[in-house]
Amino acid sequence: MRRFLRDNGLGLAFGSIFLVSLVGQAFSGNSVLNDRRLTDGGDTIGLWQYVTSSEFAVDVAENWQSEYLQFFLFIFATVWLMQRGSPESKPARRLGAESDEEQSLGAHATAGSPPWARAGGWRTALYSNSLGLAMLVLFLASWFTQSVAGRSAYNNERLVDFQDPVSWGEYVLSADFWNRSLQNWQSEFLAIGSMAVLSVYLRQRGSPESKPVGTPHDTTDEAG
Amino acid sequence: MVRSACLSALLAVSLAVGGCASASRDLAQRAAEEFEAAVASGRPERVCELLTERAREGVDCSSLELPRGEVREVVVWGDAARVRTDDDTLFLRELSSGWRVSGAGCHAVHDRPYECEVGGP
Repeated sequence: MRRFLRDNGLGLAFGSIFLVSLVGQAFSGNSVLNDRRLTDGGDTIGLWQYVTSSEFAVDVAENWQSEYLQFFLFIFATVWLMQRGSPESKPARRLGAESDEEQSLGAHATAGSPPWARAGGWRTALYSNSLGLAMLVLFLASWFTQSVAGRSAYNNERLVDFQDPVSWGEYVLSADFWNRSLQNWQSEFLAIGSMAVLSVYLRQRGSPESKPVGTPHDTTDEAG
Repeated sequence: MVRSACLSALLAVSLAVGGCASASRDLAQRAAEEFEAAVASGRPERVCELLTERAREGVDCSSLELPRGEVREVVVWGDAARVRTDDDTLFLRELSSGWRVSGAGCHAVHDRPYECEVGGP
């Protein structure tokens, strides 16, 4: 048990704080919505009704989509783009998809290689991009959920304000949809860019996200 | 995989919200029809009961004159609805006491909220 906890510490720790944060968001979001409802002449709703509402769904989904977009872009961008001196970057000589030998594919697969790394054809091609594609699918699913739930919440606000509701097509072209999307995207892109550049010059002793403390600034692709 | 399941659940919740809206449509329509019937038959107490508190402000429920007609369209999103009849547009809110009219005798204004003879923005 202790070994399981140690071996899965990152996943378990972040899974736990994710759930705690989500519960906290549910309570605070319910309070915000109830304040607004009382202001505009409506009635308050309970926690369960709130967590099954489009208001909660859109607030959750708009953050999820931006996180998955961030990872999708970062995973694919780091194949072709580099940041000299960053532990998040490859050195210039390894830019691109790399050779089968470097990636342990096909005849170069080792005994412990995943079966689809050895299989060749479409299975190896798919498996070779599976991490990025998984992030892309999760991003698109979250973004679509944001559009559906966001339209519902937006139309509720419009009816409360004595305005006509909009179609899904009109909503995904609306300022509300793009404001929700872009305000999340810009923060993710800033965080990724900051990490790539700051990790050239700054260190975190013991973290694989950082180079070893004594490593020169111009050393790329080394984790400590 | 767990995140994928969560996303599916989130989508299901979003779609369920739409389903709940369709279940509320009949109740909103009934409230709108009852309001118009109460106005037409001169029952001021019932008229006032069917208005939201805010819509009641400054309204003489005994002297309302509003066009009455068949309900042509009901749109519900969350706790708010718009009901269109032959000659009128009404807005409603769902309160703990049921659906109540927040605006009646409303007409559209380009790029701005509707203007209403009773209640409204």
